[in-house]
Amino acid sequence: MQAQDWDKMDDEAFRLEVRGFFRKEYPEHLRFPAYHLRWADTKDWYKKLVDKGWAAPGWPKEWGGMGLSPGKLLIFIEEQERHGVARTPDMGIILLGPLLIKFATEEQKKQFLPPSLRGEYIWCQGYSEPNAGSDLASLKVEAVLDRDEYVINGSKTWTSYAMDATHMFILARTDKKAKKQEGISFLLVDMKTPGITVRPIRNLLGVEVFAEVFLDNVRTPAKWLVGKPNQGWTMAKALLGFERISIGSPKLAQTGLKRLDAIVRSQGLTQDPAFMDRYTQLRLDVADLASTYSRFADLLKRGETLGPDVSILKIVATETFQRLTELTLEAAGDAGAIGGKAAFRKDSVDILSPFYNARPATIYGGSNEIQRNILAKNVLDLPS
Amino acid sequence: MSQQEDPNRMLRDAVTAFAARDTSITRVRQLRDTAPGFDKAVWKTIAELGWTGIMIPEEYGGMGLGLGEMAAVLEEFAKTLSPEPLNPSSVLAAGALLHGNNEALKKKLLPGIASGEILPALAWQETEGGIDPLAIATRAEGGALNGGKRFVFPADADGYLVSARSGNGPAVYWVDKGSAGLTVEYEPRADGTRCGRISLKNVKVIDAQLAASGKTAGAALQRAVDEATIMAGAELLGVMSRALEITLEYMRIRVQFGKPIGSFQALQHRAVDLFIQKELSFSVLRDALLQTAADASGLGLWASRVKSRCSEAGMRIGRESIQIHGGIGFADECDIGLYLKRAMVLSAWLGNGAVHRRRYAALAPAEAAA
Repeated sequence: MQAQDWDKMDDEAFRLEVRGFFRKEYPEHLRFPAYHLRWADTKDWYKKLVDKGWAAPGWPKEWGGMGLSPGKLLIFIEEQERHGVARTPDMGIILLGPLLIKFATEEQKKQFLPPSLRGEYIWCQGYSEPNAGSDLASLKVEAVLDRDEYVINGSKTWTSYAMDATHMFILARTDKKAKKQEGISFLLVDMKTPGITVRPIRNLLGVEVFAEVFLDNVRTPAKWLVGKPNQGWTMAKALLGFERISIGSPKLAQTGLKRLDAIVRSQGLTQDPAFMDRYTQLRLDVADLASTYSRFADLLKRGETLGPDVSILKIVATETFQRLTELTLEAAGDAGAIGGKAAFRKDSVDILSPFYNARPATIYGGSNEIQRNILAKNVLDLPS
Repeated sequence: MSQQEDPNRMLRDAVTAFAARDTSITRVRQLRDTAPGFDKAVWKTIAELGWTGIMIPEEYGGMGLGLGEMAAVLEEFAKTLSPEPLNPSSVLAAGALLHGNNEALKKKLLPGIASGEILPALAWQETEGGIDPLAIATRAEGGALNGGKRFVFPADADGYLVSARSGNGPAVYWVDKGSAGLTVEYEPRADGTRCGRISLKNVKVIDAQLAASGKTAGAALQRAVDEATIMAGAELLGVMSRALEITLEYMRIRVQFGKPIGSFQALQHRAVDLFIQKELSFSVLRDALLQTAADASGLGLWASRVKSRCSEAGMRIGRESIQIHGGIGFADECDIGLYLKRAMVLSAWLGNGAVHRRRYAALAPAEAAA
């Protein structure tokens, strides 16, 4: 299919085009899934995206992407959320791809980008470790050069989709003498390499989406190191910007509000002024989140770069959504501990899954406490 | 907001120049608890700068600009804590007249209001306050007004636009100060300004004084109140921004336990949460100005969204700024208390956060999932 110049298209026309495709092609039973779907659930859908040429909306066209500007990419994501399109195991597309395109050698790009785009390589991210969570730079997984291979030892954790992944990109320490952030490299690893053990971790929803990954004398080619040795931290950090705005989208909360409203009516809570005051406050918080999101989105759509103050979006979006799920449990009353689709007078609503899903949102991607540290230092200019 | 995004940079710069030249915290302190509580010479300067006529159409001697321009000026003006009644006179009172249906009266009064020669006040609330402009007990019967008005600001106006209930529904009359039967008592406000409690006993009025009548009167009052409510949000944004700046600066220089207190994580996170409230206030105000410029039909809903956020955020930043300052924050000599008190006045004025949450819920019932 001839690559199209999407950025020449009017924003609204592009939005309708994307919306139309999702409506026509996305499987109805996978809309608004209660938790992260596995590759087995989403691979047919992913194949459709590949055939359409839409598998990597943010990648440049020369590598098979749609070549969308940040503004258009935002519209694409907004439409995904609006239709309830599930994320596929997309670490390779969202996180690794842009990093390779920016920092990898031509040979590495040719080796890894096309199969990743086609869904032949499924990637997982090896950043966090059992003893390196918020303090990620203290990570201990070590990679020692042995002729033309790195020998990797240690363990990674909270690795989403590790069970589905064919490959992993990791941050590993390659210089123990250097300062914390300065001795870390970015390496690619084949999950079939001997010495890798994956232990799935059951989460609070009772499903296994992430895992602990043990690396015991795992050998990976030295030419699979991306960028320069000991520059891994800087590279990984350089790509966080866009993440912060997509994580700050109000869609999840807006959908949650509709679910809550069904319960509020069903429970007759509209007659309870004490409840209604807090409910209205929450609705206003969601509305103001949407206003804040559109303010940053407008900057992106105009081609401006986002400053460090975009961290407020992650905080507001995730904490508002958490409070929403909490108020939903409260409104549910006795049904607030019933799993699956809990029956109310008029509807059956899954109230526990969103409550659980809201928990890690304030932890991953730099916990909200870390975001507050960043804001205090980089935006409010407070001393350390 | 990035500089490129702000189309009102010149207006803002003009207020910054005013702040450096024509007012100061010392002046603000000197005017506290005095009568009339503001400086008529400074009001004249404000009028010469054109701000009193920003929203008055050019045909009546104003600049014919909109809420966006007014908001930019009021946000910056509020940072100075100047007690001059820019929003109450130039948006709330002038708006009730402008949105009314007495062309002759508009021609007679609006040019003077724009030029600063006439200082108007809207007398719309009664004993219990409240934000429904149609909750009126004051009567207009037999060519006379009888009743009482409260929370009138500025109390010492040159004339009052008085809402009343007539045989023909709601009405708004222009009543000159000093009219027979009109008396003004004063109630002190937290920030050292004062508002008026007006008594109307057989105050004679004629048709020429009828600024708005019937349905138009109700709509004019509502629109003026909603516009002033959004503008109060802009003022609150200015006050909270400045209060937060002052507090952050204090956190950088105040040393305890051998370190600046701004290095302590407990206080840093607290400051970030205040910053977030300020940013949410900015976001909702920005969105309100954009959306109402495109479609004015949602004005009331936007007014309640803006006022509930900005009132609560302004109060919270004011209160927590006192806490972060510690003991000195409770001393009158420290300026931070002045910002809290102005936030208190602006928060209560035209409906506080809780009032506007209720109104929002009434205007926009939630929609359940399909």
